Amino acid sequence: MKQLVSAPVLFVGAGIFLVTGLLLAFLYAPIDASTMGYSQKIFFYHAPIAETALVAFGVAFVAAILYLRSQDPRWDRLGVVSVRLGLVFSLLVMATGMIWGKAAWGTWWDWEPRLTTFLLVCFLYVAYFVLRSVVEEEQRRATFAAVFSIIAFIDVPITFFATRFLPAGMHPTVITMGGTGMPGSMFVSFFISMIGMTLLLVALIRRDLAVEELKDRVADLKNSIGG
Amino acid sequence: MAILRKDLIRELRTREMIISMILFVLLAMVIFHYAFSVKEDADLTYFTGGMLWVTFIFAMLLGLNRSFAQEKDERCLDGLLLCPVDRVTIFLAKTAGNLVFLLIIQVVAVPVFTLFFVSRSYVGDLVPFLIVMLLADVGICALGTLLATISMNTRSRDLLLPIIFLPLIVPVLIAATGATTLIFAEGAGFGDLLARVLFLLGFDAVFLVAAYGTYDFAIGE
Amino acid sequence: MTIEEGAKFVAAAYAIILAVLMLYYVLSARRVNTLKRDVQLLEQEVQRRQIGAGGAGGE
Repeated sequence: MKQLVSAPVLFVGAGIFLVTGLLLAFLYAPIDASTMGYSQKIFFYHAPIAETALVAFGVAFVAAILYLRSQDPRWDRLGVVSVRLGLVFSLLVMATGMIWGKAAWGTWWDWEPRLTTFLLVCFLYVAYFVLRSVVEEEQRRATFAAVFSIIAFIDVPITFFATRFLPAGMHPTVITMGGTGMPGSMFVSFFISMIGMTLLLVALIRRDLAVEELKDRVADLKNSIGG
Repeated sequence: MAILRKDLIRELRTREMIISMILFVLLAMVIFHYAFSVKEDADLTYFTGGMLWVTFIFAMLLGLNRSFAQEKDERCLDGLLLCPVDRVTIFLAKTAGNLVFLLIIQVVAVPVFTLFFVSRSYVGDLVPFLIVMLLADVGICALGTLLATISMNTRSRDLLLPIIFLPLIVPVLIAATGATTLIFAEGAGFGDLLARVLFLLGFDAVFLVAAYGTYDFAIGE
Repeated sequence: MTIEEGAKFVAAAYAIILAVLMLYYVLSARRVNTLKRDVQLLEQEVQRRQIGAGGAGGE
């Protein structure tokens, strides 16, 4: 129950950061001078969502390791919840990425490293749920899901790296070794949205965890009545 | 080692799997030929790398499903698990068995595909080609064995394997196909291939370690 | 690309993001509430039965 108490605070915090980020993006940050022009505004939510999706899968990865060590079903629940949210965010990344692609490059789809990697991420984590759906026994389902979650998370950066071998794409490289290549005002707006999205993720994870716990509780109570 | 020997002996004795796999490879080649003959005298050299690796990966899927279906149906694996051997030993033996199986397929497929599709000789690049092939094979077999062990223990065994295996194997496919195409089409020296070779090496290392760490859990109680 | 043209794409992107996130927020909030109510009802039911069983045992 402790989780539910702090949830509103987190949601409000996430909301404040996200709205501030949005306002800054449109009112404070300059219109991008390069060829992307105004459509670059999509970036202010697109990139934080991408980062948040990866954070969600990272949480699932850690939860999977902890599950394998402890066999504690709570870690399995955390894994499911984070993968589900990661998947929602990934789909948003794809959708907004495609819109951006249409605006900036004139095509909806380009076989470009980041877009391609996220496509595979979506396939991978949909497969995670397929895997869960075909194992009935609870402990075994949690174990397999954890193993797959670990392998999948390791595979994501490898895939991203491998796509560099493909003929070059046209995604703008925003963050390079030399720095972010962004004016300071853009960076601030971007950074605030990033904090907001991450907070939103944490808040949603907590609430979904509560949902899963309540579900178990309902099942228990039903059992006790039935029995 | 004994497990590997058992699988091999069993295969050589029945021959059903190897023969059907070789047929599968030849049929795939014919299918590819018709699918890609979009114009007269089209040179398929640039596509041969892709065709080869697609064939290998799909052949491997069939092979993996079968190798574990047998174990499951005849309850061999239960016996294996009772043996006082490390689970990781089982993993290594199974991986090696699948590797041998894949190599047999390749021994047949590569010359045939070369004969029918590749328009220039790459004899000089044979060594780098073999290195690329072997490295990619190890990655495919290690990951494939781990995932087949999981999928075998689920309700929809052979349906699940491609869904979890294919997205994970994409990096190997990209690197191996790129390297093979470079060799077949452009006669690239070892220098051009180095990045891909190192990448495959890294992939093998990472997933052998990952499988080593998780196989205990994958094989179940 | 002019600002007007770009704005259409930007608006579409933000509309999708906000719609999906808000939908998720609302749905999960509703699920929490429904489940909480279920738990409450079930707990009452369990209690009622316990009292009933206790009374029956006492007679």
